[in-house]
Amino acid sequence: MKLSSVRPIALLISKELVIAAFLLLGVSFVIFIILFLSPGDPFSTMLKGQMLSGAAKAGAREALGISQAWYSQYLSWLANMLHGDFGTSTRTGLPVLGEVIRVGINTLYLTVASMLLTLLLAVPIAIFSARRGMTFFNWTSTIFTYVVSALPIFWLGYIVIYISMHQFGFFPLAFGSSSQKFDWLNFMLPVFVLGIGNGTISEVVRYLREEMERVFSEDYIRTAHAKGASIWKHSFKEGFLIPITETIATKIPFILGGAVVVEQVFNWPGMGRMAWQAAQDRDYPLIMGITLLAAIIVRLGSLIQRVVHIMVNPRASQE
Amino acid sequence: MKRLPSVLLLIFFFVFIMMAPQAGAEPKTDGKPDGGALNYGEYGRPTTLDPITSNDMISMRITELIFNGLVGINEKQEIVPELAERWEMSEDGKFYTFYLRQDVTWHPKEEEEPVPFTAEDVIFTYNIMMHPKTITSMKVRYEFIESVIKMDDFTVQFTLKRPILNALAKFSFKVIPQHGPANQEFLSREDPFAQKPIGTGPYMLKNITADREVILVANENYFKGRPHINKFAARPFADQNIMSQALLFNAIDMIVLVNHRDIPQIQGDKRYVLQPYNALSYSFFGYNMRNPLLADKRVRKAFTYAVNRQEMLDSFFQGQGTIISGPFAPGSWAYNLDVQPLPFDPQKAIELLNEAGFVKGDDGIMVKDGQKLSLTLKVPIAKESEAVKRVVLAFKNYLNKIGVDIEGEFKEWLSWKEDVFLNHEFDIIFASWVFDDSADISSLFHSAEIGSWKNNFGAYSNPEIDSLIVESKLTLDHEKRRTINRKLHAIIADESPYTFLWTLTNYAAFNKKLRRVAIHPYKFFSFADDWFIPTSEQR
Repeated sequence: MKLSSVRPIALLISKELVIAAFLLLGVSFVIFIILFLSPGDPFSTMLKGQMLSGAAKAGAREALGISQAWYSQYLSWLANMLHGDFGTSTRTGLPVLGEVIRVGINTLYLTVASMLLTLLLAVPIAIFSARRGMTFFNWTSTIFTYVVSALPIFWLGYIVIYISMHQFGFFPLAFGSSSQKFDWLNFMLPVFVLGIGNGTISEVVRYLREEMERVFSEDYIRTAHAKGASIWKHSFKEGFLIPITETIATKIPFILGGAVVVEQVFNWPGMGRMAWQAAQDRDYPLIMGITLLAAIIVRLGSLIQRVVHIMVNPRASQE
Repeated sequence: MKRLPSVLLLIFFFVFIMMAPQAGAEPKTDGKPDGGALNYGEYGRPTTLDPITSNDMISMRITELIFNGLVGINEKQEIVPELAERWEMSEDGKFYTFYLRQDVTWHPKEEEEPVPFTAEDVIFTYNIMMHPKTITSMKVRYEFIESVIKMDDFTVQFTLKRPILNALAKFSFKVIPQHGPANQEFLSREDPFAQKPIGTGPYMLKNITADREVILVANENYFKGRPHINKFAARPFADQNIMSQALLFNAIDMIVLVNHRDIPQIQGDKRYVLQPYNALSYSFFGYNMRNPLLADKRVRKAFTYAVNRQEMLDSFFQGQGTIISGPFAPGSWAYNLDVQPLPFDPQKAIELLNEAGFVKGDDGIMVKDGQKLSLTLKVPIAKESEAVKRVVLAFKNYLNKIGVDIEGEFKEWLSWKEDVFLNHEFDIIFASWVFDDSADISSLFHSAEIGSWKNNFGAYSNPEIDSLIVESKLTLDHEKRRTINRKLHAIIADESPYTFLWTLTNYAAFNKKLRRVAIHPYKFFSFADDWFIPTSEQR
């Protein structure tokens, strides 16, 4: 890392953190308002089985110590959150922070692995077609990636499970039976489905190829080529690293969204599945915790992308 | 070589020691083998694992394995002793005295001696249940109890506010230990006891795995004899199709409730047994009597005539169910078998509509006084169900044929509930009621139950029904109550505030290796301590 990039990076990170804090505050507020305005409330889950009379709700409210006004509810949540207490799930009573981190890690495994798979498939195709031009092989592989990206992810999930069961006689129970700690083969299937089905492959191929072609036609690359130096080494940072990190950063929200479906189909105990269940139960503390974590992940992604950009080109921070 | 005989003797001695029966309660004397594990699949996850704060079916099935009540119910629906050996009821029916078993202990915590079960635990359970800060659906059911006192270490006496018919059955509520919950006054879902329950039942909680599988192991000291199967594991599934496939691939051994669509596939497979059990529930189309078009009984009856219920049941549910004619579940003692469901007769339907003053307009839709018979049908989406969508579509078609225009609307569960029970903004709904064993329909049809969040969502009001319902609740004579219920059934069938549809037969599917499987209609695992797996098929 160049010494000249240290200072801009430090400045960037501190600026970003401040902005992120405000952003997260805004996100939590918006989510809270949406929850408050939407029909239904957590008392229905807790008091299921008996009709939700006003008296029962009021009793539950009192028992839990929840104030009436929406702003005081939000402010008390905020105050607790700043002390590290994210509350407990209305459904299971377990602390939100612990639960969200537990499932967040599971989803992170899934998301990171599937992103690596996407890159593993997309990058060679992009590089190949950037270098050699649009040969027959490149055309077919590009079309293939576009078709694959258009497949609905839940359908892909079912097909994969069906094939694995009937062709290979192998039932993919994610996380295996209770005795196994980490069954790698079971892990591969959801990663495969998410990596292919999230629609990012075609984006990466297209964008990367465009950028690489653009960089290859730049003057400094031509100079390097004329001098006999390796064009790969010189084009790497601008033509490869930057587009890749940009694509990943923008695609993180979509991958997280795709993870919801994959987790349902493969019974993966992750954030997406928990979010869906929490939304159905109107489990307010859990929903706030999950959306906050998702916002943090997205923000982190874009932060890393900016840092990489500046590391490569310290002057970019002054643009 | 000289030491060989003594070494052999020592080995023989040790082997002999190890083969001696384990200390603890008597093993079951039925001669069936112990051992094996049962993995069963559930569509969804449990909420909490204690019997007081949990209110969903999945949690209830697990607590059925972990806890006991003062009394239990056997296969013949009779009351049998459980934690109480015997009981006495006073002449006036207001005092119930229970004499508790003295040989029951709570599930032991790690490295600790088992704590004995005493009357204190019963009193503790009652106080926790009724505490205003405990959020539970149980309070309503036990409001008839005035108080409970401890007579001695193994005797409790309940005082009722007023005598109740069949009160004994209500004492099947699960008892929790005094030393269990951290909070000794009220129970909330945050209490560690809710996730780490301690009971007296045949199975104890071992742990919950990373993917939320609940592992239960046999209670060696269970007072009814150690259960045969060593381990029960409840595995949650987010998808019903995957769950059925998991059964067929032996990833799980049992499914509690099989998706109707998968029944033919499992039925054809000889490795599995499909066992029906009747849940006390039924599906119906409910009408909003606030709408003047629907206030006329003839219109509602016409709708019932117009719908071919048998055809729908056969096509969408493989005929696995019973068409019902009235407001009780057909498995219930209150159901009046003499009242036949109205036959499918679209001609009669049209006649009834004409009688009510409707004439077919130019567009084929019935009109009366310039008002078209055009109604909205609101359906909740709780979990995915294709069959529901088909039923709704079929209903639309049937009614279209007699000149009624129906617009179907699917809504998310909680917002649907608000529309129906709070704002009363609907004409027709499609839903199901689930009952407990009391066959109490008072909250559904009594006029006092009309209002926000009350069960009489359609605003059905009939003074005759009102008085019959009140009479039924007050009487202490079982036969009399039965007669009143039969009359209620007949009148409500005629009045048609709902178009009663069917009760679906629930099917559990399990691997043939499970033997002697008796299933309780809605508690499911009540007799699970008798189930066993032959030694050759244990895993």
